[in-house]
Amino acid sequence: MKDYTKDRGPERLEPFFPNEMFRHTIVSCFLVVLELIAVSIFPLPFKVVNKPDNISWFLLPLYKLSKLVHNELLFILILASCALLFISWPFLVRDKKNKMLPIKNAKGADSCHILQISERRNLWQRPILFAVVILTISSMIQLCFIKL
Amino acid sequence: MNNKHTGLINNENENENKSFLRTLIENNVTRRLIPKGLSWFGCMGGLSLVAFLIQVSTGIFLMFHFVPNERGALDSIHNVTHNVPYGWLLQRLHAIGPNIMVGMVISHMLRILFKGIYKHPRELHWVSGACLLILTLLIYYTGSMLSVGNVKAHSGIHLTYIYAIHVAGIPLIMGLFMGMHFFMVRTTGICEQL
Repeated sequence: MKDYTKDRGPERLEPFFPNEMFRHTIVSCFLVVLELIAVSIFPLPFKVVNKPDNISWFLLPLYKLSKLVHNELLFILILASCALLFISWPFLVRDKKNKMLPIKNAKGADSCHILQISERRNLWQRPILFAVVILTISSMIQLCFIKL
Repeated sequence: MNNKHTGLINNENENENKSFLRTLIENNVTRRLIPKGLSWFGCMGGLSLVAFLIQVSTGIFLMFHFVPNERGALDSIHNVTHNVPYGWLLQRLHAIGPNIMVGMVISHMLRILFKGIYKHPRELHWVSGACLLILTLLIYYTGSMLSVGNVKAHSGIHLTYIYAIHVAGIPLIMGLFMGMHFFMVRTTGICEQL
C-alpha cells in the first residue's frame, strides 16, 4: 500500500477516516437520490434525438456510425482499432523531457548525462493533443445529431 | 487439564485474530493518512463502483423473476413490473441506472484524461479503466437485448446465451478488472495535485 506520509509533513495530510469516508458517503447518497429522481422523472425509453427506442445516448454514436459504414467488417475493424487506440492512449502520448544531469567521470572531471524524465502535464498544456481530443469528442457528439 | 490447555490456545488464537483484525482496520481505515485537499471530483471512480453495485443488487433481484427464453421473457418482465412488490422500482432502477453509471465512468475518465493522471507510473490504471468502460458498454448492450422493447426484435438470437453473458460472463471479467484496478490504485496511490 502506498505510504503518503513519507515526503509530507502532518500539515499536508488528513485522516482517511472520517474525512475521506464522509466525502464518499455524501456523494454516494447523492448518487442514490439522483437515481431515484431519474426513475421518477424520466419516462422509459428516454429520448432526446431521433433514434430507435432501444439505443441509449452513449451507444448512439456507434449506432449512427454503423448506419454510415455499410460494410459490417469495416465497421468492426473501425471499432476494434478505436478501442485499441483508446486503451493504449498512455503509451502513445508519453511526455518525455530531456534533463541534463551533471555527473563525474572516472578522472573526476564533470560531464553531462542526458536523462529522459516523464513528467505530468495537463492536457490543455499540450495544444495538439488537446485539439485531437476535443475534435474527437465534438465529432462523436455531432454524429448523434446526423439524420439518416 | 486438556480442556484448560485447549481453552488457553483458543484464547491466544482469539487474541492473535483480534490484533490482526485491529491492525488491518487501523492500517487501512482508522489510522490511515491521505494527502490533504483531495478534490470532490476524485470521488467519481468510487461513484462508478456504487452505481455498479446498485446494478448488481437490482440485477440479482430481477434474476429471481426473469425467464430467459423467447416465450417467457416478455411476460416475466411484465410480471415483475406489475405483480411483484416494489418490482417496478427495482426494474426501472436497473433500466435507468446504466445511464448514470456510464455518465460517471465517462466523467471519471475525462477528468483523468484532461489532468494527465494516466501518465507514468499509472498507465495500467488507464488500461484497466478503459477495459472496464468497454465492458460496461457491452454489458449494457447485452442487457438492452433482454429488455421489453428488444426481446421480440432479437428473437433470432438465442436469448439464453445473451442472458448468460449478461449475468455471468461480463460481470466476472469486470470483477477481475476491478480487482486489478483497485490493487493498482492502492499500490501506486492516488495522484497528487499539480
